Amino acid sequence: MPEISQKEIEELRNTIKATSQKTIAENIERMKKADPNRPEAMQYFDEIANFVTREKEIRAAKEEGKKVIGYTCLFAPTELILASGAIPVRVNSGWYDASKLGDRVVPVEVCPVVRSTIGAKMIALSPYLELSDALISVLTCDGMTKLSEILSDYTPVWAMTLPRVKDSAQSKRLWREEIKAVKGQIEALTGNKIKRKQLKSAIELTQKATKAFHRLQELRKGSPVIMGRDAMLVNQTYLWDNIERWTEKTEVLCDELEKRARQKMWACPPDTPRVMVTGTPMIWPDNWKLPTLVEEANPRGVLVADELCSSERILYDPVGVDEWSTNDMLNAIGERYLMASTCPCFTSKDGNEDRINWLLNKIKEWEIQGVIYYVVRGCMLYAMEYTRVKKVLDSLGVPVYYLDTEYTREDVGQMKTRVEAFLEMLTARIDI
Amino acid sequence: MIMQLLGEILKLTVLAGLAIAGILVILIWKKGLATKVTYLRFVIQVVAMVAVFYLFTYPIWQLIVLIVILVMPLVLGRFFCGWLCPFGLYMDAITLIRKASKIRYRNLPDKLNKVLHNLRYVLLLFFLIVPFILSLTGPPPSLDSATLMALLFAGPFRPLGVLLGPVIPLIVPWVGPLEIGGLYFSYPYVQEVIFYSSGIFVTINALVFVALTVVGSFFVRRVWCRFCPTGASIAVVNRFRGFKWVPVLHIDKDEEKCTKCGICKRVCPVQVTEVYEQKGGKITTSMCMLCMRCVEMCPYEDCLKVKMGGKTVFKSRNWLEPSTIE
Repeated sequence: MPEISQKEIEELRNTIKATSQKTIAENIERMKKADPNRPEAMQYFDEIANFVTREKEIRAAKEEGKKVIGYTCLFAPTELILASGAIPVRVNSGWYDASKLGDRVVPVEVCPVVRSTIGAKMIALSPYLELSDALISVLTCDGMTKLSEILSDYTPVWAMTLPRVKDSAQSKRLWREEIKAVKGQIEALTGNKIKRKQLKSAIELTQKATKAFHRLQELRKGSPVIMGRDAMLVNQTYLWDNIERWTEKTEVLCDELEKRARQKMWACPPDTPRVMVTGTPMIWPDNWKLPTLVEEANPRGVLVADELCSSERILYDPVGVDEWSTNDMLNAIGERYLMASTCPCFTSKDGNEDRINWLLNKIKEWEIQGVIYYVVRGCMLYAMEYTRVKKVLDSLGVPVYYLDTEYTREDVGQMKTRVEAFLEMLTARIDI
Repeated sequence: MIMQLLGEILKLTVLAGLAIAGILVILIWKKGLATKVTYLRFVIQVVAMVAVFYLFTYPIWQLIVLIVILVMPLVLGRFFCGWLCPFGLYMDAITLIRKASKIRYRNLPDKLNKVLHNLRYVLLLFFLIVPFILSLTGPPPSLDSATLMALLFAGPFRPLGVLLGPVIPLIVPWVGPLEIGGLYFSYPYVQEVIFYSSGIFVTINALVFVALTVVGSFFVRRVWCRFCPTGASIAVVNRFRGFKWVPVLHIDKDEEKCTKCGICKRVCPVQVTEVYEQKGGKITTSMCMLCMRCVEMCPYEDCLKVKMGGKTVFKSRNWLEPSTIE
């Protein structure tokens, strides 16, 4: 790590924090403006999206002796963290300005999510990253692998090896061992043994959250009752919110949306082109430009589904337990994280066909009219999978648009032109 | 006298069991838990066991059971194994005891499972051919018992008796292998074991067989289903090409909705891997006994379906029950 003076750190942190608060306020303001019928229940998520509130809560919990365990990829078994009484938070960073700092440590070619996380750590910007007592790093892509090395200078990092072929017997064995190992580490850190009962209630807790999550996604199927950005924000707040409260509030939101659906109060005209976005995670608060552009463009589009590990992939798959014995619960947790995932870091003899199946299912069930394939520069895995995905979507006649960008605000104007051209094409297709 | 009393008590317990089963069905119905296949299956298994017990009290009905076993797979595939077979019920009951005592199950290695699966056909052939040869070489079958059953099952049709193996009740209405105070006790397949043993080994083999299956099914779910010759005879229609179209009832998979989460593979009591591995469409494997546990546990709406003659009778749904508006 390059030496930075304490003074510079302070300065940078203060400026970036101020910008970040401004961005959050602006994003929420724009989301409010985009939808005149914005659900009232969204207010809670607006508040929790502001990092300050939750940071205070976690700090208070930490003073009571609770531990916080951060994770960089969705593969980290949250149920185990919850069962041990610790608080799980995802620590990936979405700050544009922090990625510039990351350039001092790693080359610019590296994925900006990784660079930004490094930058955030350098100036202690992300509250969740700072509060974490330990980090679970799952070695998915190259960026994440080396990120865990860099972060281990500051915080204890437990790396979990992820097999790249997910459905073979040996992969399952390896992953099961990894889950058991990380369970031991969590137990050692928190000092609480993960027993059957705690594990069961933790699984039930996340299952309830999954239920609420699925309810929300189902509501996005018909004419749009909620703007895609709002739903994406709801999904993403799960990553740092108190899960029980999140579930409760999401159910409240769904109740309200159901009422709206009955009254036919649409968030935007029902004939708005229905767009799905897939690719690199979009992390609040800064990296919110694509959803904002799509839903504020002229002509407008609405995001009704996505395949992002910062949104719908978080909770799509429930933990399915056959018998409530510790062994079977651990197996169920392991399989849920490994086998159900559609991360492009996997491959199999048919390519990553699970991901393609996900897209096909969404396209049919959610009546998607166009797909935006979003990639940040440096995200090799998503970029390289594009041709395979495009081939399948082309055969279905679903337009797919490859949009590459960076962690920067400078290309918004240029992106706007591209997104608008795509949406115009979609509108023209619908009119025919 | 005491045994008569016991017999009466037994009858009453059977009736009570039926009543409880009925109440359970109503409860499931009322609570909208009709899709809770596991409960429903258990109820049907109990009813089937009782029905078989009473059927066996009439000699001629044994033949009817046999005909059902032989003809039903033509329509329903291995539905019999998962839903009606009394031996299956005994094993499921042992599994329930294991579950209650929070002991984990073991899986057989997939390869061994496949080998055993093919071995069943060899076992079936053996059981069908050897007694037939024996009956030809041995003394002519005695005709002193004038019933039709004896004629069929003691003579050249003796081999077919093996197919009745798994449906033998624990307490048999006829003269069984073990007598305690007027009641005859038996166990699935124990008659076959006795038939092929001699001398002192009759008792030893029978006891070893009972112990092995009881202990085995405690640790491995549905352990005998991997050996069962009756199961093999039923599975024939699923096993061989050209016959696969025959069963009307089968499981159907929608590849696009599948995320390969592996739940179907993990929950299967007989460790069928085809539901997980196969790419959509009709799932034809002779290992599957249509217990529908995978369909029940699959968390993706409409991904797995049970189809009967093209019509969906039961399908996987998001068991987290999402909203259904629009």
